Amino acid sequence: MKLQLVGCSHHASAVSVRERLAFTPQQVEEALAQLRVRFPQTEVVLLSTCNRVELYTATEDATLAPSHHDVAEFMATYHGLQLFDVFDDLFERTGEDAVLHLFTVAAGLDSMVLGEPQILSQVKQAYDLACERNSAGPLTHSVFQAAIRTAKRVTRETEISRKRVSIPSVAVADLACQFFERFDDKRVLVIGAGEMGQETLRYLADVGVRDVVVVNRNLERAQRLAAEWNGRPAPWDRLLDELAEADLVVSTTGADRPIVTLDDYRRVEDARYQRPLFILDLAIPRDFDPAIEEHGLNVYLYSIDDLQQACESNRKEREKELPKAIKIVEEEAAAFMADLNRRATGPIIHRLKQGMQQPKEDELRRLFNKLPELTDRERAEIERSFDRLINKLLHPPLESLRDESQNGSPHALLDALKRLFQLKD
Amino acid sequence: MLGKITITCFAASYLVALLLELSRLLFRSGIRGAVMLGFAAAGFVAHTMFLGYRWFTEREWLNSEFDWYLLAAWVLAAVYLYLVAYHRQNPIGLFILPVVLMLVLVAQFWASRTPFPKTSGLNGYVAAAHGTFQLLGTVAAAIGFMSGAMYLIQAWRLKHKKIAPKQGLRLPTLEWLQRTTSKAISTSGVMLIGGFLSGALLSRIKYGEVRWSDPVVWSSSVLAAWMVTAGAFNLFYKPARQGRKVAYLTLATFVMVALTLAAMLMDPHHGGKQANPDEESEQPQAVQAGGAA
Repeated sequence: MKLQLVGCSHHASAVSVRERLAFTPQQVEEALAQLRVRFPQTEVVLLSTCNRVELYTATEDATLAPSHHDVAEFMATYHGLQLFDVFDDLFERTGEDAVLHLFTVAAGLDSMVLGEPQILSQVKQAYDLACERNSAGPLTHSVFQAAIRTAKRVTRETEISRKRVSIPSVAVADLACQFFERFDDKRVLVIGAGEMGQETLRYLADVGVRDVVVVNRNLERAQRLAAEWNGRPAPWDRLLDELAEADLVVSTTGADRPIVTLDDYRRVEDARYQRPLFILDLAIPRDFDPAIEEHGLNVYLYSIDDLQQACESNRKEREKELPKAIKIVEEEAAAFMADLNRRATGPIIHRLKQGMQQPKEDELRRLFNKLPELTDRERAEIERSFDRLINKLLHPPLESLRDESQNGSPHALLDALKRLFQLKD
Repeated sequence: MLGKITITCFAASYLVALLLELSRLLFRSGIRGAVMLGFAAAGFVAHTMFLGYRWFTEREWLNSEFDWYLLAAWVLAAVYLYLVAYHRQNPIGLFILPVVLMLVLVAQFWASRTPFPKTSGLNGYVAAAHGTFQLLGTVAAAIGFMSGAMYLIQAWRLKHKKIAPKQGLRLPTLEWLQRTTSKAISTSGVMLIGGFLSGALLSRIKYGEVRWSDPVVWSSSVLAAWMVTAGAFNLFYKPARQGRKVAYLTLATFVMVALTLAAMLMDPHHGGKQANPDEESEQPQAVQAGGAA
């Protein structure tokens, strides 16, 4: 039995390498089909995300397993690359190391953003696809299902995934949710069409925002962005009027000086009748004059630095949870390996017991022929004695086998038993 | 058996619930919410039985100052249970349970247990309306105090970029707090003005005139004047309806209500303790037991 993984991740490989080796969902399906043809005895699961490309293989017979070189060559050839260009980036893990790695990845402990939850759904998708394409088997079923269970346990028993660490997610989930009870009746004003603004809008849409107004110097861009979010574009000269009506502002322009000064805000404040306004100024340099915050009691102005501090604090909170999460992963990996090793010894124990049955039955037949006067009760008693004898003879080797399997795969002992008792596959 | 329930029973339950609320500031616990709710609910049940027993034995609605304070505490405890069921993560009890306990304490140690003079016909209805308006106005002002205080803390925290409290004071959203505060001040305004008008009417029926020299009449008229001013301020000055201004207004209203209640407690004509030093002997056994405790 051999479990192996060959792949690359953000830890050691540059994005230029990862993007050359990455598989699209359609390519994953193709690759799985090709691998099944090339290594018919091998179970395969292919995990490809923006931060890692990992090919998991498993075989009952270790001699039939593809080598590190075979897998690396397949990946290089599939993408039309030279093997020597990528071989050094493709690391290999086998056996318990591969299990530990998969559990760590699924729990988000190997991710670029520690504890991020998306990786678990990516692992599930990779496994589901392998199941659909019949490239998964008994070993990959058990290891991937155990990895998913482990990741859920880490999420349940630690706080590693709870604290948000990206600026848009902190802005919406940690901050906006402290201002507003509901979002479907709030007006969101987006100033500019920066990426951070769009990402924040994505989170706001998730919490129910429906009324979006986009103001941009370039009206066409405003129209495009507004159309994407079922919002309304507004010309730049309406900026202050729109500010007077908004509940939440997300500003991400590329302006080199504040677009809303304190004097501008004074006029807005009068028009708002001091209704509280929550502003996320995600632009650098800032779009809102910082003096606005000091002036207005009912304005809550957050710059990217304020949010960055919250992200950093959350990141530290996550790091504090890391030892606890690692302990869970190690425990689960050790339990999985012990179970796997125990299962590996099953067929040998079965054959060993079967091998003893035939001589027992032969001897009993011979004995009963010689002693025909035995009653049924006496025959049954003798039969039980033979069984007890076999059990006593097998107890020491089976006990040794069990002990050995606790500490890893007992290959040497299994081979010895096979040779000593002439057990055939 | 009902007669054996004492004030100490439910006051102690509310106190434990308050201490558990306080412990939120210190550490996290998975079962605290359920235990806290259990104590508050047990206190509320005992409180209900205590009032039910008094109503059953005396057959009078708001029969004395003592009953009035206990009933106000009961309504506020009911509001607390309702709110805590919907906002389990928020330490609402920190703001509302002290007021409940204060009302119970006032009932126990300062409020008169002498029954209000017997009234019948129109007088009786006006007197009951006066007591009910005052009670609901006080409860609404207490709720306004709770939400207003929480609003100010939450607003201060968000203004100072204290984004995610690790534990402890996780408050409701600013929007909910502002809405609750606004509703509380409007309700308390309507109720307290109703209380003042019904009180003035009662005074006129009883004495043929409104006695402005009476501390209760002038203090409740000051309160009503305050409520009218606050209402007018709200109506004509739009910024007063939102943000911190409404929170400050609610806190001030609560202080005014507290001062009015204090004035009433000191007034011997309103059933204050000075009016009847021998009143303890007239109370039911259960109440005396509570008092002894």
